Amino acid sequence: MTTPIKRYSPFGEIEEVGEGLFKLNVGPQHPISGQGRFIVLTDGERVFDIEVDIGYSHRGIEKILEYKTFVQGIVPVERMVMLDTSNILMGYVGAIEKVMDIEPPPRANYIRTIIMEMNRIVSHLYALGLLSESAAWNPAVFLWTTADREPFLDLLEMLTGARWSYSFFVPGGVRADIPRGFIERLKATLDWFEKRIEVYEEAWIYNELFRMRTEGMGVVSRQNAIEWGLAGPNLRASGVPYDTRKNEPYAAYGELDFKIVTHTAGDSYARGWARVEEMKVSIDIIRQAIDNMPDGPVRVRMPPRPKPGEALFRVETGRGEMNVYIVSDGKEKPYRIKISPASFRNFYTIEMLPKTQEILLADVPVLIYSFDPWFLDADR
Amino acid sequence: MNDDILERIKSLAGEALVEIKSPEDKRIYVKVKPEAIVDVARRLKDELGFDMPISAGGTDYPKKNVIELFWAIWNSGMNKVVILKCEVDRDSPSIESLTGVWPGVQKFEREMWELLGVDFKGHPRLKPLLLPEDWTEGYPLRKDFDLKPYRAKWGDRI
Repeated sequence: MTTPIKRYSPFGEIEEVGEGLFKLNVGPQHPISGQGRFIVLTDGERVFDIEVDIGYSHRGIEKILEYKTFVQGIVPVERMVMLDTSNILMGYVGAIEKVMDIEPPPRANYIRTIIMEMNRIVSHLYALGLLSESAAWNPAVFLWTTADREPFLDLLEMLTGARWSYSFFVPGGVRADIPRGFIERLKATLDWFEKRIEVYEEAWIYNELFRMRTEGMGVVSRQNAIEWGLAGPNLRASGVPYDTRKNEPYAAYGELDFKIVTHTAGDSYARGWARVEEMKVSIDIIRQAIDNMPDGPVRVRMPPRPKPGEALFRVETGRGEMNVYIVSDGKEKPYRIKISPASFRNFYTIEMLPKTQEILLADVPVLIYSFDPWFLDADR
Repeated sequence: MNDDILERIKSLAGEALVEIKSPEDKRIYVKVKPEAIVDVARRLKDELGFDMPISAGGTDYPKKNVIELFWAIWNSGMNKVVILKCEVDRDSPSIESLTGVWPGVQKFEREMWELLGVDFKGHPRLKPLLLPEDWTEGYPLRKDFDLKPYRAKWGDRI
């Protein structure tokens, strides 16, 4: 009987499971960001199976919410994704508004839209930085994207009082109106950021080396993307024109005119490119929202208790569609909330990819990062 | 709303249908008997084009002694979501897995198995997902699982 070999390498723990077959543990300490593990079955070159092991930061948010009133629940929900708090919170707040049957005032909708699009830019910038870093690309790109998030975080601080986890959306509107001088600063930041996107495209998206590294890798066909339930920019990169902002408009998206970014290739390159293009769309949306913003109150009173009933609310977060299913029994606390985040769905596709195509071990980091997965999101 | 689709779902579900409603334009709630769930799911996919799973979960009702399961499926052609539901007995909850119809529900069903204790027959990978592998303290999302013993000593009042 042979005893399994256990070795420790800089990349993780390696275990021999059969004749020339190894299990490589990528993680569980920060394989990307957050805690989680990819168990890669390989012979040293080809990858036969990827298993995603999540749950290292499971906080039981769905259970905690059953013990909290609707407003108290805002705080745990936001902690799901720190980079993208407002989009995540919109899912929760929107579901409550649906079950309470209240409509936020138009000005609140526009303020929400501006914050959510700024958050989407912040989230995409981080995703692009990680993707470029994983592609053994110049780590400077990661530093660029991290630095370019700062002006947006400063603006969000000016508006909400915090760089992240703002707790700014409440059922019935937003906590405060826009401060003086914010719009002018935001416009100037957008003008500057538009030029920065051109730099990214030049240095990165149109770059031959990056294309060679990512093109044709990890192809998800349109059919598979739908069957496996892929979400967000990844889904659109596979040619499915689904964007919750367009297909089921919430906040002010129904009144604004913007395009859905789709690609047909479905590979890692298309997923990266889709994110760059979506940042341009976000700039466009923010500009329209500034121009069309109506005057008026920013918050309406929330009734103390909802009517008994259920609702499913869908929202487009930075990583894709998240939906919140809420069951209310007429009390001041929800009876049950089921949150279905985007990364939870994207991980399934990562598991299925080695079953449909040949994947090499050296490609695994780029492949995984190109989906922009986020463990804290999936763990809840 | 959606009268023609409701009629078609009624005819394809037949006697298995328990409840059907469409309170808003893009949502259709369908409740069927548990023994017909795979059949109805397959026909929803093949005949009406509900193809993309977006969520699945369950709610515990100790008073009625049932667990209500739901699968939310988006239709890429019609841009509508069907929420397919069924009730299973709370004492020995068991149902056929829908992974054969929509592969994307695999992880959601695994989560339900772990957190609600529902057994999915024919599921390819029923093993712990979110909880520790040696967890023996019950099913957290059931209503009789009390969170109070787990609260932090430094005082999170829940």
